[in-house]
Amino acid sequence: MPDPCPATPWRVGMEDLARVLIGEEELRARVCALGAEISRDYAGKDLLLVGVLRGVTIFLADLLRAITIPVAVDFIGISTYGPSTETGGVVRLTKDLEEPIAGRHVLFVEDVIDTGLTLSYLLRTLRARGPASIQVCVLLDKRAHRLIDVDIAYRGFELRDEYVVGYGLDHRQRYRNLPVVGVLRPDRY
Amino acid sequence: MVPHPNHARPRRATGQPVFAHPSEAQFASLLSFYGIAWLYEPTTFPLAWGEDGRVTLAFSPDFYLPEFDLYIELATRKPGEMTLKNRKIRRLQELYPEVHIKLVNRRAFEDLLLKFGLEERSSQLVGGGSHA
Repeated sequence: MPDPCPATPWRVGMEDLARVLIGEEELRARVCALGAEISRDYAGKDLLLVGVLRGVTIFLADLLRAITIPVAVDFIGISTYGPSTETGGVVRLTKDLEEPIAGRHVLFVEDVIDTGLTLSYLLRTLRARGPASIQVCVLLDKRAHRLIDVDIAYRGFELRDEYVVGYGLDHRQRYRNLPVVGVLRPDRY
Repeated sequence: MVPHPNHARPRRATGQPVFAHPSEAQFASLLSFYGIAWLYEPTTFPLAWGEDGRVTLAFSPDFYLPEFDLYIELATRKPGEMTLKNRKIRRLQELYPEVHIKLVNRRAFEDLLLKFGLEERSSQLVGGGSHA
């Protein structure tokens, strides 16, 4: 019987990648390093990881297991700009935190930061709730696309001007389950 | 060498500015969605003067975000537009080093549309038109 979860699995969708940008081993090593850094910096503190749904789920799950100190986790969701909201809509929370954050050390975890628009809204919203501190950890930093500057305390990889999917990142809800970060072929979007 | 308020840009009765290009209206809508205050072409920066002291070249960046003290210029129309705008921005930074400005090029704007599921509108929003 074939192994249902082989070490280097092939997934439907891999054929849509122009190339693999960050492989499994590189992802694992970087996430472990981030976990070690965070564990050292937050030792003795009441740490709460906050993941921004939905692209962050895989990165957050791996990061959480790489952190060696006590840590709580929660998720937040926000509506995104799009064809149905482009005239007159405003961003809103689609899922709020269930954990109180007043007096706690919040580490915001994001899969990718490009313009900084989403993050600046979330930081503004959560700072008003009186946390002891808020820092940002991001897997992929598309710094060249930044409109609003945000301080990033922990950065996985800096990304060039490429459209990537996999390891939680999607295109129209596809490719999140790919175990690598890859560049999507232009004819696929 | 003093930047001055730009009163030339017309506004609708609602107070909304009349945007020079659909890409600017789209960008304004995006900023508003995320609760970011913006002003459309609020300032004109003189960049060059003739011998008589009159301004011969000026630049009015498309947007100003007061909360971030940041100007944003969109260069989404013609491929050659970037060169001219880059030159103006370089000159602006020489003359007004305290001014923060970012240029959003055509590729970055197309990526924004893709990110927000608006790529089908790309042909309407990118390219064409003229710009002062």
